[in-house]
Amino acid sequence: MHRLLDWILWLPMIGVLALLLTPKEMTRGIKYISLFFTFLTFLLTLCLYGQFDTSLAGMQPHLEINHPWIPSFNIFYHLGVDGISTPMIILTGLLFFLCVPCSWKIEKSPKGFFALLLMLETTVFGVFMSLDFFLFYVFWEVMLLPMFFLIGVWGGENREYAAIKFFLYTFFGSVLMLVGMIALYYASGKDVDSFNLLALHGGRFSNLTIDLFGSTFAFDKLFFWALFIGFAIKVPVFPFHTWLPHAHVQAPTAISVILAGVLLKMGTYGFLRISFPIFPQASVYFAETIAILGLINVLYGAFCAMAQKDIKRLVAYSSVSHMGFVMMGLAAMTVPSMNGAVLQMFNHGTSTAMMFLLVGILYERSHHRWIVKPDGSKGFSGLATHLPKYTIFFIIGMFASLGLPGLSGFISEALIFLGTFPRFTTLTTLAVIGLLIGAAYLLWMYKRMFFGEVSSDVKEYTDMDCREILYMLPLGIAVVVFGIFPNPILDIMRASVGNLVQLLAQR
Amino acid sequence: MKVNYLANLAYIVPELIVLLTMLLVLILEATYSKRETSRSYPFVATVIGLFFALYALLHQGQLEGTLIFTQGQVSDSFSIMMKFILILGTLGASYVAWSSKELYNNFQSEFLVLILGGLLGGMTLVSTQQMLNLYVAIETLSILSYILAGLKKRDSRSIEAGLKYALYGGVSAGVMLFGLSHLYGLVGSLYFSDIAKALQYLPVNELTLAIMALLFFFVGLAYKASLVPFHMWSPDVYEGSPFAVTTFFAIVPKLAALGILARLSIQFFSFPGPLGEFWFSLLQVMSILTMTVGNITALGQKSVKRMLAYSSISHAGFMLLAVVSSRQADISSLLFYGLAYFFMTVLAFSVVSFVSDEYGNDSYDRFNGLMKHHPFMSILLVILMCSLGGLPPFSGFVAKFLVLSSLVSSGFYLLAIIGVLNSVISLYYYLRLVRVMVFSPSEAQEGLKSFSWDKQLYSYLLLVPVVFLGIFWNSFYHWFVQGTLFIQ
Repeated sequence: MHRLLDWILWLPMIGVLALLLTPKEMTRGIKYISLFFTFLTFLLTLCLYGQFDTSLAGMQPHLEINHPWIPSFNIFYHLGVDGISTPMIILTGLLFFLCVPCSWKIEKSPKGFFALLLMLETTVFGVFMSLDFFLFYVFWEVMLLPMFFLIGVWGGENREYAAIKFFLYTFFGSVLMLVGMIALYYASGKDVDSFNLLALHGGRFSNLTIDLFGSTFAFDKLFFWALFIGFAIKVPVFPFHTWLPHAHVQAPTAISVILAGVLLKMGTYGFLRISFPIFPQASVYFAETIAILGLINVLYGAFCAMAQKDIKRLVAYSSVSHMGFVMMGLAAMTVPSMNGAVLQMFNHGTSTAMMFLLVGILYERSHHRWIVKPDGSKGFSGLATHLPKYTIFFIIGMFASLGLPGLSGFISEALIFLGTFPRFTTLTTLAVIGLLIGAAYLLWMYKRMFFGEVSSDVKEYTDMDCREILYMLPLGIAVVVFGIFPNPILDIMRASVGNLVQLLAQR
Repeated sequence: MKVNYLANLAYIVPELIVLLTMLLVLILEATYSKRETSRSYPFVATVIGLFFALYALLHQGQLEGTLIFTQGQVSDSFSIMMKFILILGTLGASYVAWSSKELYNNFQSEFLVLILGGLLGGMTLVSTQQMLNLYVAIETLSILSYILAGLKKRDSRSIEAGLKYALYGGVSAGVMLFGLSHLYGLVGSLYFSDIAKALQYLPVNELTLAIMALLFFFVGLAYKASLVPFHMWSPDVYEGSPFAVTTFFAIVPKLAALGILARLSIQFFSFPGPLGEFWFSLLQVMSILTMTVGNITALGQKSVKRMLAYSSISHAGFMLLAVVSSRQADISSLLFYGLAYFFMTVLAFSVVSFVSDEYGNDSYDRFNGLMKHHPFMSILLVILMCSLGGLPPFSGFVAKFLVLSSLVSSGFYLLAIIGVLNSVISLYYYLRLVRVMVFSPSEAQEGLKSFSWDKQLYSYLLLVPVVFLGIFWNSFYHWFVQGTLFIQ
C-alpha cells in the first residue's frame, strides 16, 4: 500500500463522483453510497494505523508521497503523516463515517448534502496530510466552501448569517496566513524546499529578512502572529471565538460534530505542524501569551457555557473551554503537556462529537433545545426516567467531557496539568478552576434536564432506536477504552511529540 | 536592432490581420446584411480573423525585443503577451455578443467593426515607444468606445452611457495632452528612450514641473484603466452599455491601459531618485484607493452587472499592485492576472446576460433560487464567484497569489495585507450572489429558457480555463515569466 495516503485523501472525492452520477430520487441509494465510501475510508485510516511505525519520530517514509506540482514556484504535491497527524486522520475517518447514519433522516436534497460532506472529508484529510505549505493552504481554504453550504442550506433558522460569518471570519484569518506563507517562501530563499514544511523546521531564514526587519527574530515574531491569527480563529482562541456559537447552533447535527470534532483541531494542528516548528524562537518567546490566552479560553468558555439556556450553545462553549486546555498544553512545551494536548485533541473529538450527536438525537424528538425555555419554564424534565438508553450514553459523554477518571477526558487533562504545572504554576492552578466550573455546568444541566417529574412532552419521546445506538456505540467505546488504556494513541504520537519538544527546547 | 522600414511590417502581422478582418466585416455587412441566413457571416469572419491573429502572434518567432517604425513602436515579449490577452478579450466580447440576444439581431456588424478597431488601438498602445503614438492609440480606443457605449440607439441609458463616456473621455484626454505638452517642453523629445534618459538626469529645479506634467499625464491613463478617483464614469457606462460592450470595456481598454502603465513605470521610473519614488508612491496610493473604493461600493449594489462593474474596478486596483511591484520583481504577475481576469470576466458577463435576456434586468432577485432549476449553471456561478473572490483552487486565487508574492518579494508587506483584506471584503458581495442562488427560495415556476443546453455547454467550456489555471498553472506561469520589456 504505497499510495495509501492518496487513497485516503481522494476516496471521498470518488464517492462524490459516484453520488453525482446517482439520480437524486434514489435517496436510499445515495445514503448507502455515502455510507459505503465513508466506511471504506475509515477502514483505510485504520490500515494507516496498522502501517504506522511507532519508533519513527519524523514522517513515516514508507507512506510519504512527493510529486512536483508547480515546479516554477517550488510547489509540491507532498503528503505524509507522523504521530501528530495520524490520530487526527483516524478521528476524521471515524467521525465522517458516523455522520452519515446520523444524517440518515435528512430530507432536504440529500444528494447535495452527502456530496458536500464527502468533499469536506477530502479537504480535512488534505489539511492533516499536506507537507507542502501551499498545498496545505489550498486544502485549508477549499474546506470553507462545502462548510459554507452545509451550514447555509441545511442549518437552522438563522443559517445564512451563521454561514457567512463563519466563512468571512475564517477567510480573514487565512488570508493573513497567505501573506505569512509567501513571506516565509521568500525569507527562506525561494528554493526547492521553501514551501516544504519539514525543511523549514527550526526556521532558516535568509539575509532578506535581516535587510527588511533588522534581524531574523523580528521577522520571526511578526509572521508568527500572522500565522497565529489564522490558526487561532479556527481553534477558536479568545477573542476570535465569536463565530463559533453561531455556526454550531445553526449547523445541522452532523456538521456540528465535524466542526467541533475535527475542524477546531485543524487550528491546534496548525500550531503543531507549522507555527511551533517553523518559528521555534518566537513560539518560546510568546509561550506565556499563548498560555494566558488558553487560560482565558478555559475560564471564559466555561462561564459562558454555564450561562447558556440552549444545550447546543452550552456544548459549543464547552468546546471553547476544552480547546483552551489544548492551548495551555501546547504553550507549556513539555513532553507530558504536549502529549496531553495531542491526546486531548483526539479525546475532545470523540467526547464532544458524542455530546453533539446526543443533542441532535434529542432535537429530532423535541424540535427545541432549551434547557430553560425563554418563558422561564423547564425545557425538558425527567429524561432519565423516560429514556434510559439515551441517559446511559449521555452520562458517558458528559463525564468524559468533564474529565471523570476512567474516561478519556481525564487522561489528557491530567497529562496537560502534569506538564504545565512546573512551567506555569499560577496559570495551571487557575485552569483547574475551569475544570471545576466544567463539572458544575454539565451537572447542573444534567440535573435540570434529566431529573424531576417526567413532563408531558417528554412522555411522547421514544428512546434511541437501533440506528442511533449503532452510531453512538463506537464513540462510547472509544471514550471508555481510551480512558482506561490510552496507550494505542500515546504510542503513535510519543516519538513525534518528543521530537517537537526537543526542537523547541533547543531555543 | 534596427530593421528597414518595410521589413517592419513583419512585426505587426497580427495587427494587419485584425485590420483586414475589420475591413472584411465591413464588406460583408454591405453585401449580405439583408439576408436572414447570412447573419452569422460577420461573426464567423471575426472569429476566424482573430484566431489567425492569435496564431500569427504566437508564431512571431522571436521573443527578444526589437524597435520598429523608426523607434516609434516596439515588439517585445511583454507586448506580445499583452496582445495575446487583448485579442482573447475581443474574442470573448464577440462571444458574449453572439450568445446574448441584445446585439445579435440588430447591431452585430457595427459592434464587430468597432471592437476590432478598438483592439487595434489597444494593441498599438501596449507596444508603443513614442508619446504621439500613445496618444493616437488611446484616442482610437476611446473614440470607438464612445460609439460602442451608445450602440443601443433607442435605449436612453445606453445613450447616457455614450455621452458620459465621451464627455469624461474628452476632458481627460485634454488633461493628458496638457501634461504631455509640458513633458515635451521639459525633455524635448517624444520618444520613450529619450524621455527616460532625460528624466533620470533631470535638474532639481525642474522636478516640480516634471511632477505636475506627469500627474496630468497620469490622469489620462488612469481614466482609461478606471482607477479611483477617475472611475466615476465606469459603473454608469458599464451598466448602460450592452453586455458584450461591457465585456469589451472591462477587458481591452483596461488591460491595455495597465499594460502601457507598466511599460512606462518600468522604462521611466525604475531608477532610484525622487521622481521614481513619486511615481511609485502615486501608484501605491491609487491601487489602495482603487481596490478599496471599488470593493466597498460594490457591497451595496442591487444590480449584478453593476456589482461586476465595481468588482472590475477593484480588480484593476489589484493589477495595479502588480505594476507597483514591477520595480523590483518581474511583470509576470500582471500578465497572469490579466489572463485569469479575462476568463472570469467573459464568463461572468455572459452568464448574467442570459439572465438579463430573460427578464430584462439583472438585479440580485432574478437569481433567487437558481439552484433549484439550473443546478449546473448555479454550480458554475458558484465556482466563478469563488474564483473572482480569490479562493483556491481557481485561477483568481493563483492570480492574486502571484501578485501578492511579487509584492512580498519586493518588501511591500503592508500593501500585500491591504490587498488580501480587500479580497475578504470582495468575497462578501460575491457570496451574496451565491446566497441568493442557493439559499433563497425560487420565485419562478420553471427554469429560464435562455439557459439552453448549448449555452450551458459553452459556459462550461469557458469554465475549464478558470479551473485549469487554478490547478495546473505551471506552464502558463512559466511562459509569462519570459514576458520582459525591451528597454534600450
